[in-house]
Amino acid sequence: MAFNILDSIPDIDNFKSYTDRYFSKRYILDVDGVKNNDIMIMFHSNRIALLSLAPSHYFFKKNDDYTINFTIGNIDRLSNTVKGKGKKGGQYLTPKSVICKIEYCDGTSYAVPSCMKGTLVEINEELVNNPALLKKLPDSDGFIAIILASIAVSEATKSELLAHDEYLKKLNSQNSDGKKD
Amino acid sequence: MDQTPIINFCKDLGCCYACCLRYLGLKNPKVFENCRKYVLEILENGQPKKNDRDSAEKSEIMKKDENAEEPVNKKMKMNDTCVSCMGLLQEESWPNYFQALDVTRKGYETDTFACGLSAPMTTLLREKAVILRLCNQFTEYDATILTPLKEAWKWTFGVQMAKVIGKSLDSGAVSPLLITLNMEYPDDLQELEILKTLSPSLFELRSKQKKRFTVEFTRRSVEEALTDLSLEALQGVDGWKDGLPAVEKHVKCVSVVSVHTPMYLGGRYIKLSRELPQTPWMVNGVRMMDSSVQEIIFDPIARMNLIEPADVEHRLKFMSAGREDVDVRCLGQGRPFAVEITDPRKQLSPEELKTICKEISKTGKVIVKDLIYVTKVDLTELKKGEETKCKTYEALCIKLSHSEYDHIVNPDSKPKVTENDIERINSYSNTSPSDEARIVLKQKTPVRVLHRRPLLTRQRRIYELIAKELPDHPQLFTLVIKTEAGTYIKEWVHGDLGRTRPHLGEAIKAKVDILALDVASVHLQWPLVNNKN
Ligand SMILES: [Zn+2]
Repeated sequence: MAFNILDSIPDIDNFKSYTDRYFSKRYILDVDGVKNNDIMIMFHSNRIALLSLAPSHYFFKKNDDYTINFTIGNIDRLSNTVKGKGKKGGQYLTPKSVICKIEYCDGTSYAVPSCMKGTLVEINEELVNNPALLKKLPDSDGFIAIILASIAVSEATKSELLAHDEYLKKLNSQNSDGKKD
Repeated sequence: MDQTPIINFCKDLGCCYACCLRYLGLKNPKVFENCRKYVLEILENGQPKKNDRDSAEKSEIMKKDENAEEPVNKKMKMNDTCVSCMGLLQEESWPNYFQALDVTRKGYETDTFACGLSAPMTTLLREKAVILRLCNQFTEYDATILTPLKEAWKWTFGVQMAKVIGKSLDSGAVSPLLITLNMEYPDDLQELEILKTLSPSLFELRSKQKKRFTVEFTRRSVEEALTDLSLEALQGVDGWKDGLPAVEKHVKCVSVVSVHTPMYLGGRYIKLSRELPQTPWMVNGVRMMDSSVQEIIFDPIARMNLIEPADVEHRLKFMSAGREDVDVRCLGQGRPFAVEITDPRKQLSPEELKTICKEISKTGKVIVKDLIYVTKVDLTELKKGEETKCKTYEALCIKLSHSEYDHIVNPDSKPKVTENDIERINSYSNTSPSDEARIVLKQKTPVRVLHRRPLLTRQRRIYELIAKELPDHPQLFTLVIKTEAGTYIKEWVHGDLGRTRPHLGEAIKAKVDILALDVASVHLQWPLVNNKN
């Protein structure tokens, strides 16, 4: 009996990316009443959540150089540490907690809130040296942070936020509203 | 010191022959096989006794000695229950105990057994009472010579029990089968009550800490209370002034517990399914998959060992040198594993083991070629292997973006695996040439397991990495990877959001992902070849 890895070639035309295989995307639009301040949270089937910016965020339309600052007041997000399976000691987050600020040379900046309750597990430190990742790969290597919430909170957040198709619908209606103005 | 006065003293207290020998400190099992004869021989050769009753008995025995093979006279005078062992060592009590023996029910095949005893706790109190009196009477008496009740039990009852159950008696260190008789004296606790008066501080403390001590009397608490007991104190208690209180009721055998030491089967399993977890996969108490490698292997082993389905869970235990993910096959020689069988009834024949392998392989999901009995010591090899072994994998990978090295005419064209890509992968290294590892990785705990494992960054080593093109599938390539145990291969290939660095994509400056993974070889010798079985 010989078994070959070529027994296992899947249907490549319908191959899903790493993100689409494991995560379901949720969106929240106009956070804090700021137009197009659109956040995306990607939920892994194991309830790990990745925080990032939604493709409709105005960040993606602005081409100026930027840096990502993880010091929020006297909290340094980069010094976050977690211990053990329970991720003890991780910074506690409320939906309003600011995770980072995207700062431009012209002095303008905007804050990225966590948009969910939970424990901060990990900051994507790669963004400090390579901020371009956020623009290039927002739904994979350019994620901002990993957040872990209880099953209940995670499920509740998932159902509160917009699913991918609802998000697209809403964007479409916004666009057509814009044209009417 | 002279044995005769000690024997006489014990007999006067109401001890049986066997207990007399115990208090003499005799440790020769042969002596215990005919206690009465031996005691009377000592008395014969020692000083004659004054007591008429005893001399009468002695002359009766002298007559008997002429034909020593004759069974012991059941109507002899000392058939009152012994005040020390409470009858446990007296043949007259044994028929009832023999009746309780029902070990044939479990059908053990082994020819030998070891004999255990759980005696009423008050035998400890009674033993102490005899010792205190002996020490008081004979200043030179050494209390430490006492032969334990359990030992005498083996040498007396155990020898007869062997005939009843048709197995030969052996020591617990040699025989795998231990048969323990649990004995109860109806007035055990009432009799121990006196310890509360004799050692009030100990038991007051225990009753205050009721949460910790749900039972007042345990073997240990009784022993503790007896340590500092004095004869004066004991004699102050009703019924203990002039000797030991008589044993009013029969000590009963309330249960017989037989248990065989575990046996272990060792082998290697090949896993052919990508929808089969190694052990039952449960999420919040709900099964995620119908079956598992463990269950497929357990099934025929349980049947051959006559283990009921309901008992499988606590009678069989699965151990292995690591595990693979549900969707990963394990090919080649397979993964080393062992199954512990608790309280086995028999040793399976080589033919039966072959049948088990056939039944496992019949499922088409798991193949086990050989099964042999291994020892408990061998298992350490299996566990050690979990950390030290290295593994070879085969992966099927896909190139998802053009390489930054490529000169692309049309950026929308499908990425193709080029000769350059293959060369770059096969020469990729981030270590010095003298290092036995070609690539050293830093892996953060993968996102897919991060919810249940601590966040850590682990350094892992890749020893070999060989990529091959697939002419019929221009976007795909295969990878043979030999790594240190604990390397997350899937994450090494796709990078896990950049959380494994470096990752394969960095070798060819392109996005790559993994389509399928097989374990090709677990480098661990198992089962050990020198095994006698
Ligand atoms: Zn006795």
